[in-house]
Amino acid sequence: MTEPLITTPLRERAAQALGDRFLHEALDIATTRFIALRRDAFGDFPEGEALRDRARAIKEATLQRLDAHLETLVANIERLGGHVHFATTAEEAREIVLDIARRTGARMAVKSKSMATEEIHLNDALQAIGVTPVETDLGEYIIQLAHERPSHIIAPAIHKTKGQVAELFSRELRRPGLPADPEVLTKIAREELREKFLTADLGITGANFAVADTGTVVLVTNEGNGRMVTSLPRVHVAVMGVEKVIPSMTDLAVFLAILAKSATGQKLSVYTTLVQGPRRPGELEGPDEFHLVLLDNGRVAQLAGPLRESLYCLRCGACLNVCPVYRQIGGHAYGYTYPGPIGILLTAMLNGPASVRDLSHASSLCGACADACPVRIDIPRMLIELRREVNVRGIAPRSERIVFKALARLLRSPTLYRLAARIGRAAQRPFVSDGRIRALPSFFGEWTKTRDLPSIAARTFQERWRDLS
Amino acid sequence: MTSHRLGPEDGASSSRRAGARTTKAEFLARVRGEMAKTPGLFVAAPAERPAQPRQRLELLRRELSERWPQTLERFRAEFERVAGVFHRVPTAADVPAALERICRERGARRVVSWPSEELGVALAPVLSAAGIAVESMPRAVPPDAERLRIRAAVAEADVGVTGADLAVAETGTLVLVAAAGRPRSTSLLPPCHVAIFDRTVLVESLEQVGLALEAWHEGPAPPERGAVINFITGPSRTADIELTLTRGVHGPKEIHALFVDGGLGLHG
Ligand code: SF4
Repeated sequence: MTEPLITTPLRERAAQALGDRFLHEALDIATTRFIALRRDAFGDFPEGEALRDRARAIKEATLQRLDAHLETLVANIERLGGHVHFATTAEEAREIVLDIARRTGARMAVKSKSMATEEIHLNDALQAIGVTPVETDLGEYIIQLAHERPSHIIAPAIHKTKGQVAELFSRELRRPGLPADPEVLTKIAREELREKFLTADLGITGANFAVADTGTVVLVTNEGNGRMVTSLPRVHVAVMGVEKVIPSMTDLAVFLAILAKSATGQKLSVYTTLVQGPRRPGELEGPDEFHLVLLDNGRVAQLAGPLRESLYCLRCGACLNVCPVYRQIGGHAYGYTYPGPIGILLTAMLNGPASVRDLSHASSLCGACADACPVRIDIPRMLIELRREVNVRGIAPRSERIVFKALARLLRSPTLYRLAARIGRAAQRPFVSDGRIRALPSFFGEWTKTRDLPSIAARTFQERWRDLS
Repeated sequence: MTSHRLGPEDGASSSRRAGARTTKAEFLARVRGEMAKTPGLFVAAPAERPAQPRQRLELLRRELSERWPQTLERFRAEFERVAGVFHRVPTAADVPAALERICRERGARRVVSWPSEELGVALAPVLSAAGIAVESMPRAVPPDAERLRIRAAVAEADVGVTGADLAVAETGTLVLVAAAGRPRSTSLLPPCHVAIFDRTVLVESLEQVGLALEAWHEGPAPPERGAVINFITGPSRTADIELTLTRGVHGPKEIHALFVDGGLGLHG
């Protein structure tokens, strides 16, 4: 199953975002801050560049033998008493989690932040069988109470003011008159969620990494909710894309050294939790059952495909922060689970290229994302590939394809080109103002709705050159 | 690039029968099939892993024991940078009094702690005399009802006291390996966490942590080992409301590191 296609066109979603002044300011402040923090973190860390190369090499090498590493991971988790499930599609992944919930009689599931469970739209499915899903990352909790979607993969609620959060908590948690004070609001969330942690039957997480050699699922959080969710409920289910597997603990140390620096500029996030199966015999706490759901959902097809490199992604968010398009329109405008430049590629991977017909153009190809990426993913190259693909498959708008085809012929023939320039010069007259073409009639209008065109010069370079010599 | 295989419609997904579950064999076969399409596409070699990590860790420990004061200094600086509170006492005998002071300053009345065998120091006599209740975590697993009672007690406690398996100078991180008698919640549920440690657990870098992790997993795990290893770097924090840094959202609001110069006599 794929995500439902978005019906509002990107153009409108972007325009809406551009019109939201608070969102704009919040995005600007957040992304600017993240960029500075990241720069400082790597500035203090001369080994950083070499570690990024190593991290990239590890990802490459791991994917080269992905079958073997997955097999080792599965064997080790089973040896530790855990269960591993295999989901080819999002739907299958949902069904697997629902089965576990039904079988264990779960009523409430506490979740720590996980893109994978958002990707498979798990919450609605849980709700539908009578299991209440509770997001426990503060940002995600706010978003869930407000029935909204995250706007940034690291800071999901940056688009909300503290005043809005105070209002939301006052209303939804029936605690009227809360002040717009982050300290107070955080304390309220702690109380509310503490009770949920202690009563929930099911803990659901994603995974930042899985170490094949030792059967270890690794979770990184700042709040500690990842620890709660993996220690207090009776059952722990982790949902993870297959590409998250890494071979060894030695590799893990490499990734940990660059992940938090790229995401928030911390040397390490507050909590890195290594989970190795269910509670062991001598242990006081921990779940009785541990499940890992390995998710394909379009990933495996890219192992040898043009989007392969996006499988290296650590979901650190650095490419969002530096992206001039993301900084203007924010995460919501992209319309899918994964926003930003890498989000476009992941969306194409999960939902097919048709889903990014417009989105594949929501990038200026400036290359800032590739520079920021801790594993140096060449996002711009893949975006260009994707645009080409969208065109070849005939997914692009018909008018655009006709015009581009005509243009291609024109550019190949000097005679045709000169003729066209002369005709164009005459034909453009009604549409030019201040040397720009701002609106064209009929199907050309699609192009100028979001772009201005320079007008065709009164005399071409060739003509002027002739006069000079 | 010649292939145009983008997106799920080319995958096996669409041809699956509804309700049928993918087996491990099918799943891995598909991974293998896709990989076979581009033999030799990837050129990178996997990372070099240390041979005989236990031996190497022993060697490293010996090296580190010669320069521990610098390592400790760096740990202190980084730990304080992430808002940890650093304390240092001469001997294990000074630990209970230091803890009593921490409790008194915070008006803490209830302490939960790893048992004295795990800490290398007994807290109860001094703390009880000061009117502070100490509940020691059991080393053997009690029946379920008692487990629930203990969990509630930990959730109600003001301070949780643990040891540490590693203290990492590069990042100001404490590494705690769960085990029998070393439960996870002691460092998680109370609003204030105090970790007691000595020079034997100091390491310099994340790379050395990698080596320790390899060493701990060489051969079968000891029977008392738990299923979780936690790296803790400062108090629980969030910046999810208008990027305002706030501490203690789910985990502890405060974290203290209590270093014992004379050693705890735990790790040989
Ligand atoms: S593509 Fe790179 S920068 Fe972007 S989220 Fe993934 S790892 Fe981070």
